[in-house]
Amino acid sequence: MRAMVGIDESDESFYALQWFLDNLFPDLSAALSAGLLTLVHVQQPFQPYGFPAARPGVAAFYPSTVVADSVRKSQEQTSAALLSRALQMCKDKLIKAESLILEGDPKDMLCEISEQMNVDLLIVGSRGLGKIKRAFLGSVSDYCAHHAKCPTLIVKPPKEASNNK
Amino acid sequence: MADVVPKERKILVAVDEGEESMYALSWCLKNVISQNSKDTLILLYAKPPRAVYSALDGTGSRSHLQGYLFSADILATMEKYSNDVAACVIEKAKRMCREQADEVEVRVESGDPRDVICQVAEKINADVLVMGSHGYGLIKRAFLGSVSNHCAQNVKCPVLIVKKPKCSSSGTK
Repeated sequence: MRAMVGIDESDESFYALQWFLDNLFPDLSAALSAGLLTLVHVQQPFQPYGFPAARPGVAAFYPSTVVADSVRKSQEQTSAALLSRALQMCKDKLIKAESLILEGDPKDMLCEISEQMNVDLLIVGSRGLGKIKRAFLGSVSDYCAHHAKCPTLIVKPPKEASNNK
Repeated sequence: MADVVPKERKILVAVDEGEESMYALSWCLKNVISQNSKDTLILLYAKPPRAVYSALDGTGSRSHLQGYLFSADILATMEKYSNDVAACVIEKAKRMCREQADEVEVRVESGDPRDVICQVAEKINADVLVMGSHGYGLIKRAFLGSVSNHCAQNVKCPVLIVKKPKCSSSGTK
């Protein structure tokens, strides 16, 4: 089966990847079709305008192309670093993985790509936002769970200092 | 391959009367559980609380007669009906599991499915929670609420939400 893991900068997504590699399938490489796991990183689109200006009275200005390019490059480097870390985790478990970088809103892109690639299982971490934060920031895992066409696995990190135990 | 140590996992599957949870169970049996894994499958059915106003008593026990709108006969019939539904659902689920010859445990609890599922998942320290999703749209969800949403947020263990594919869009493996 095709499995896809959503990766971002947060630790939770790496924990989700680790949990999936360790626990879900006892014999993972046999379960995955072509023994391949897909890692997806979705970059927030770079907005080339609207930097907070030091000078008052300036609503927005368009940064020069040099600045735009350097930000884009640093974004690419960050995603490459993340994905290489994730690929290393897969390699440690002897699982082949391919990586994919997309740009856009994570929620929509994850659902879209999982549909396009006919994925059988989508794995995402969850930041464990409370109700209020969730209402403002939105939850990618919630959105995917409800809008992706394929089964979704939401992995939450264990609470180290749990207050209700 | 490297050593395949059969892990003993507790897989909690929430079932209800709907088709989606049966699909989730069958998906789970097909994909998550394999022959050489020593998994315990726990089927949980939450009996929805009786829609009878029972004053101040969350457990719905017969402590306050003033809240009851129906006579005892009707209550008994309703109780029997809900027990029958529970037995039917559990039987159907067990039949599906029999082919896999797993260790299957059955639990029937009553109460709001959201809370019941979260409580049981915590109590038994489940490793994975598998549930279906009714696939309501935004409006229905606003009114009826989403059990899978609530559980995914509140339960501590990883949650696998399986949706039934609509019509025959994508071929399942």
